[in-house]
Amino acid sequence: MTLILEARGIDKTYPGGVHANQNIDLSVTAGTVHAVVGENGAGKSTLMKILFGVEQPNAGEILLDGKPIVLHSPRAAIAAGIGMVFQHFSLVPSFTVAENVVLGVEPRSGLKLDRKRAAETVQALAERFRLPVDVESPVERLPVGQQQRVEILKALYREARVLILDEPTAVLAPQEVVELFAAIRSLTEQGRTILFIAHKLPEVLEISDRISVMRAGKMVGEVAASEATEKSLARMMVGRDVALKVERAHKGPHEHFCRIAGLTVKNDRGLDAIKDMDLVLRTGEIVGIAAVEGNGQSELFDALGGLRPIEGGSVELGGIDVTDLSVEEKRDAGLAHIPEDRIATGSAGGATIAENIVATELGDTRFVRRGLLDGKAIRDHAVELIAKFSVRAPGPDAAIGTLSGGNMQKVVVARELSAKPRMLLVSHPTRGVDLGATEFIWQRLAEARDGGASILLTSADLSELLALADRMIVLYRGRIVAAFANTADLTPEVLGSYMLGFAAQGHEELKAALA
Amino acid sequence: MELILNTVFSAAFVAAIIRTTTPILFASLGGLLSDLVGSLNVALEGMMLISCLTAVLVSAYAPWYVGVAAGMVAGGALGAVMALFHLRFKADVILVGFAINIIAAGGTVTALNLATGDKGTSIGRVLSAAIPELDLSFLDPIPVVGPVVTQMFSGHSYLTWLGAFMVFAIWYFLYRMPGGLRFRAVGEYPPAAEAAGISPNKLRTYGLIASGMLAGLGGAQLAMFNFVGFTRDMTNGRGFIALGAVLLGRRHPVGTAIAAVLFGAFEALSIALPGILPQIPGEVIHMIPFVVTVVALMLSSKRKLTA
Repeated sequence: MTLILEARGIDKTYPGGVHANQNIDLSVTAGTVHAVVGENGAGKSTLMKILFGVEQPNAGEILLDGKPIVLHSPRAAIAAGIGMVFQHFSLVPSFTVAENVVLGVEPRSGLKLDRKRAAETVQALAERFRLPVDVESPVERLPVGQQQRVEILKALYREARVLILDEPTAVLAPQEVVELFAAIRSLTEQGRTILFIAHKLPEVLEISDRISVMRAGKMVGEVAASEATEKSLARMMVGRDVALKVERAHKGPHEHFCRIAGLTVKNDRGLDAIKDMDLVLRTGEIVGIAAVEGNGQSELFDALGGLRPIEGGSVELGGIDVTDLSVEEKRDAGLAHIPEDRIATGSAGGATIAENIVATELGDTRFVRRGLLDGKAIRDHAVELIAKFSVRAPGPDAAIGTLSGGNMQKVVVARELSAKPRMLLVSHPTRGVDLGATEFIWQRLAEARDGGASILLTSADLSELLALADRMIVLYRGRIVAAFANTADLTPEVLGSYMLGFAAQGHEELKAALA
Repeated sequence: MELILNTVFSAAFVAAIIRTTTPILFASLGGLLSDLVGSLNVALEGMMLISCLTAVLVSAYAPWYVGVAAGMVAGGALGAVMALFHLRFKADVILVGFAINIIAAGGTVTALNLATGDKGTSIGRVLSAAIPELDLSFLDPIPVVGPVVTQMFSGHSYLTWLGAFMVFAIWYFLYRMPGGLRFRAVGEYPPAAEAAGISPNKLRTYGLIASGMLAGLGGAQLAMFNFVGFTRDMTNGRGFIALGAVLLGRRHPVGTAIAAVLFGAFEALSIALPGILPQIPGEVIHMIPFVVTVVALMLSSKRKLTA
């Protein structure tokens, strides 16, 4: 049991004054999977960036193979045998897998790039570490799970002995997670060491040997995975017991509220993203849409929200045909939208919290009279919502772009829910949001549902869908391939086989479940 | 009409196209390199113009090849200036490019006036050199095709042949050499290049300098072959047409070269037409290359949208 990587007394304060890492110690044993878990803002990304040379610590030292080492840049880290796969991949879309892997360290024959040798080397690596991928295929044509393999191959091609994976499962379907874990096991068997950053605790418990928990910039403990439970880890992460549980919708007359009939939506390349979709949403229920990224869910939500033209079919809200209405008119009909990208579409980064909150209410005489904004009413309203949604912010006049992801999302959720919507579109409501805020947002969504709203929800996190949804629908290549009532025996594995297109429900079964 | 067709489908007209295409081709290849590495060079026009004047003034006192080299160096230096302001001082690349274009338009007139005492043209004031013609008349005796081939391809500037070779050389660099892979990676997705230990700014600097040198060669060809001597604003929009050629050519060297030939053909037509159709105002005819550029780009982007 030799230690391969050690961090001793790492301390990091960002120029803005955020004390992200306080006297952190971390010891990673060679040939193991070591997980680092913690809430957003706990400092785990900062620690990893320091270990990969992206950030420099203010104090402390890093030891590799027992010897102190200074990692002044990622290049130094790579040279030392440390590789990192970020959540956002750094791949050139039009390049082939082999080209992406060898970029920067290309095999040459004379002046020429040796394509054959590149392809062979990458192929051999892929086979050796159980990371099957078509080396001649452009990466833009590969699913996310395989793109991630390319990133791992990139690190292995540069002879990484320690591989840092930053939230690697966040973008994967359940089956892809299984494959990733198989690859991770094959890596550790062959002596490589994995540092695994995550917040999904069941996965962490499954794959890791040891787990370090961080909270608010400090290392609060390290346990062997065999001795930890989900509950004990959550308590260490948050500092209190967390109840990530939402009651199902109560029984009662749930009338049809939203009717989607024959809906067709095109994607940016002009291809059908959603084909001929029929779906009915009732009042007081949450319908979850499960799909691997890129199977039409983004386009569906954009189209329903009025951000993308509807090519065919109709959408009805409470008897009103809203198919061709503008966003404003749809909102008047009772629609609200928590979009997947809170930064680009959910808010205006340079504007204040108060301005962001009032942006959807400019027709309301409480805030706008005779064409003039009532600054005081707008600020008072914002102060009220900030308190109600416990947004951690300096005040209503702070620019929303300065808030952390979780708090920014709370502002967006607060704005959309304060309109008392009858139909709510929700995409990835807690992506990049920490456990405490996740719990809070889930409760608010459940409240809105119990208040009679129809909620259409999608999330890359299946456990979120399973926790919130009353009914579940699986989209594959723009079509509904399965529908279920969300009961206890609905598992990620069942959903996963439909999400990846391995299975599809028959016409009758589907019709019955959708009725 | 028949007269137009006879003109267009003559060997002499092909020779005219090759001649008008050469400066545009160099500028287009320059535009291609900078565009592929992610710093669109809108200063091709100004770079060409300054290179025209530099080449003319230097060649008045030195052999022709020194004049050509001076034009190339002037363009490369302007590329370096662009890189400095855009990459080091973080100025917007379009604004820097237009600054160079504006400086070129005024600066060349001022410099011309200082050097020759004339604000309009160097012709008659300084005796500048011309790039020699490459004589291929030895091909004439080949049966059947000999005379036509000679008429089309003989008597062109050395730089024309260099330009044709550059199309191949740039293609080979971009798609067969490691450097080209890195170049395209930077242009397509800089974070990927950075993660692979490649400095995007370094490659962009190279791209802008190479772009300037190619535009400079185009300028030298224009002022030392197509015309011998400098006239104010003599580039006359060729640098912008070259940008159009890059986009129309789908950012590929061969496509760009084909687009450059297309624009060269319409320029040749606009030179030939006034003799055939004197009733149409010359200004209208000279609009043809620009109208064609705009129309071609519209069609090309429409096809991209529907594809």
